Amino acid sequence: MSEFFQTLQSDFIKCFITKSRWKLIWDGLGATLQITLFACLMGIAIGLVVAVIRSTYDKYGKEMRNPLGKALLSVTNFFCNIYLTVIRGTPVVVQLMIMYYIVFASSRNSVMIAVVAFGINSGAYVAEIYRSGIMSIDQGQVEAGRSLGFGYIRTMMYIVFPQAFKSVLPTLANEFIVLLKETSVAGYVAIQDLTKGGDIIRGATYETFMPLLTVAAIYLVLVIFFTRLVSILERRLRNSER
Amino acid sequence: MNDNVIIKTENLCKYYGKDIHALENVSAEIKKGEVVVVIGPSGSGKSTFLRSLNLLEDATSGKVFFEGVDITDPKVNINLHRQKMGMVFQQFNLFPHMTVLKNLTLAPTKLKGMKAKEAEELALKMLEKVGLADRANAYPSQLSGGQKQRVAIVRALCMSPEVMLFDEPTSALDPEMVGEVLSVMKNLAKEGMTMVVVTHEMGFAKEVADRVIFMAEGSIVEQGTPEEIFSNPKDERTQGFLKSVLNV
Repeated sequence: MSEFFQTLQSDFIKCFITKSRWKLIWDGLGATLQITLFACLMGIAIGLVVAVIRSTYDKYGKEMRNPLGKALLSVTNFFCNIYLTVIRGTPVVVQLMIMYYIVFASSRNSVMIAVVAFGINSGAYVAEIYRSGIMSIDQGQVEAGRSLGFGYIRTMMYIVFPQAFKSVLPTLANEFIVLLKETSVAGYVAIQDLTKGGDIIRGATYETFMPLLTVAAIYLVLVIFFTRLVSILERRLRNSER
Repeated sequence: MNDNVIIKTENLCKYYGKDIHALENVSAEIKKGEVVVVIGPSGSGKSTFLRSLNLLEDATSGKVFFEGVDITDPKVNINLHRQKMGMVFQQFNLFPHMTVLKNLTLAPTKLKGMKAKEAEELALKMLEKVGLADRANAYPSQLSGGQKQRVAIVRALCMSPEVMLFDEPTSALDPEMVGEVLSVMKNLAKEGMTMVVVTHEMGFAKEVADRVIFMAEGSIVEQGTPEEIFSNPKDERTQGFLKSVLNV
């Protein structure tokens, strides 16, 4: 038994202490969180716009009276649909590589490229989550807002979104967790994220057990932490209803 | 146009598809200070008519004039006109994610630029009038149906509208709560508010209405004082309808 712990100890020193290899994990964690956070924000922004366009078109597209507005809405809705189809129809690794090698071929700021790639990817899924939330809000809420004199956008802002957000929060949180883990493919485009950091240690030390399980454990702790955070938020928001 | 007329409709038609005619050439006038009650069997188009007055329902053809302005004109900013037309719904439609007070102050602060404190004072004063001052910080889910509807009425009143539209305000209520909502509406009528009320409460129509409109199959069949309509209905359909609702 003591032998086992001794091996464990020497493995640990070899993997993390020697040559300050823990820095690979630490910096990788930073990159992973950075990419996840900014991609998430970007996804939320893109998702919101796409969801509003799509749900507005679904509800009012056919009966809008202003011909210019109707045409504009149809065209933007069309592009939103293309966006959703393409992004959801191709693997995120491929999208990431297209961004890195084709779209931003001249840039070497790979973290920024990853943020954009994952943000655009996440936006497509978030859009559909939001849309389901918007659609779930009773039409009477919109009518009440409009009858008071709020325009469509402000009715959405003050009345529909806050309620829709609340109802999709668990799904949205799940998307964030999926995103956090999906960023582990960032190593494909020479980003040293958490996964890549562990992999570099594995390559340098020929140790597999210690670095890979450590990386897995860190992901797990992160996910548990964020899940807790969301359930606290959810409970706070729920206080007002039911 | 007569100065006293606040809302006027001209040949209002609403078709769903080709076959369903919810409104058929409805022309009507609502005068300032008048309480008009619209009655009729279900499917007669009375709710559609009411909802066309503030364009929640987009009429297929015809015009709606509000304070002399044709609000069906696409160039008109309908949001500005709606601020002056309060509406109360059958399903209350309070905002569930806000307290009662927030429900009441949202529109005055955001649309009229009223200061938060000023709006709150107004809201509390209005709540007092309907006997709900102590529920200002409750959420809608904590209120009874009758309380919700009274709050909804106050929400519309906080915008100081020129006219109030009621779309079957008591139809979703338990019977014992109908009275409290009707009494709020009666007080409102006494204060001289212009009201258009779609309802099945014949007692309210008799007692409060200046004019009763009877609709059937998307058209106005007959209108007159409550006396004329209830005691001496001329059209066969009015007679049949009144017989069925009054003799239950």
